[in-house]
Amino acid sequence: MKASVVGGSGYVGGELLRLLLGHPDVEVGQVTSDSMAGKSIARAHPNLRGASDRRFVPRSALEPADVTFVAVPHGEAMEEVPALLAAGGIVIDLSADHRLRNAAGYPEYYHRDHPHPELLARSVLGLPELHREALRTADLIAVPGCIATASILALRPLVTAGLIDSQRVVIDAKSGSSASGRDAGPAGQHAERSGVMRAYAPAGHRHTAEIEQETGARVALSCHAVEAVRGVLATVHGFASRPVDEKELWRTYRAAYGGEPFVRIVHEADGIHREPEPKILAGTNFCELGFAVDPHAGRIVALAALDNLMKGAAGNAVQCLNVRAGFPETRGLEFPGLHPI
Amino acid sequence: MTQCPECEAIVESHDMVLGEVFPCPDCGTELEVLGTDPFAVQPAPKEAEDWGE
Repeated sequence: MKASVVGGSGYVGGELLRLLLGHPDVEVGQVTSDSMAGKSIARAHPNLRGASDRRFVPRSALEPADVTFVAVPHGEAMEEVPALLAAGGIVIDLSADHRLRNAAGYPEYYHRDHPHPELLARSVLGLPELHREALRTADLIAVPGCIATASILALRPLVTAGLIDSQRVVIDAKSGSSASGRDAGPAGQHAERSGVMRAYAPAGHRHTAEIEQETGARVALSCHAVEAVRGVLATVHGFASRPVDEKELWRTYRAAYGGEPFVRIVHEADGIHREPEPKILAGTNFCELGFAVDPHAGRIVALAALDNLMKGAAGNAVQCLNVRAGFPETRGLEFPGLHPI
Repeated sequence: MTQCPECEAIVESHDMVLGEVFPCPDCGTELEVLGTDPFAVQPAPKEAEDWGE
């Protein structure tokens, strides 16, 4: 299967290339970048030195492929995707442009109308844990955001099981600097970012729309930038609708994800890694989920950790490709991570 | 097989012997084999602060 990447010079594009170059069922085709056209992909992604002799091509030179990954900023993908779909093949969009089923969410959260709202009904959200069967036949797959992925996977089982008041949920998310992308602007400068603990979106983060769409909950989301390059930790605070103990939470999460290849339930009795922690997941496609019961406050705390560039973007996109193409779901995604790191 | 009394994970005997201590594969709780036929476990006693003195 030939795969092309539109917008291959960014961090997500680099992770896609790393994964696709190692995927035994995929041949990497064209990789576009207008700003780096003609240059080796290793110029943007030095970890890929020697892995490929591919050079970036301008977007205008893109030819049809069996699957095209779109890793361009929000707002650009919605202009690109119709032509890609018309040319045939599968389109996997890693931007936010086809995640929301309701077009009204775009002016509310992205400050622009969607130019092709008819595609929103055609798009399938790229979260195999929720939409595996629909993904098997989808021609437009919209990979959810990193904070949204972590939050949805942690929160949804609690809502589905009726364990919490779904209209009163608070999510506190921390993310590493790579989540802002390669061109993050002044907020990503070392002097501003080093040592940071910044509430960059205490309210109104755009991933709220995805989380509410996929969980049915009403969510109050606050997002923070922390001193890390990769990683998301989402802490979900729900208020119990009845008495709940930890055994019931084990049952709930096992029922939701017991057979999932990339979801691990982590809530251990001892040790220093008792709950999910993004650091040890760097470079892997795993999302780890943990939980705790707070009887004093009538609260259930759910935790989700992942690598924002992997299960939060490129890794999840390749997992979706595996599902769509009928490949083993873990193919190309077996890396277990590093420790210590 | 039986269940972990802490998290309800399925735990299997794997020819363990009476008194053997092993971690639950899911929650990591140290479990002690109480019986082999039928297989039964309980959380292992934790070391007291003056253990060994």
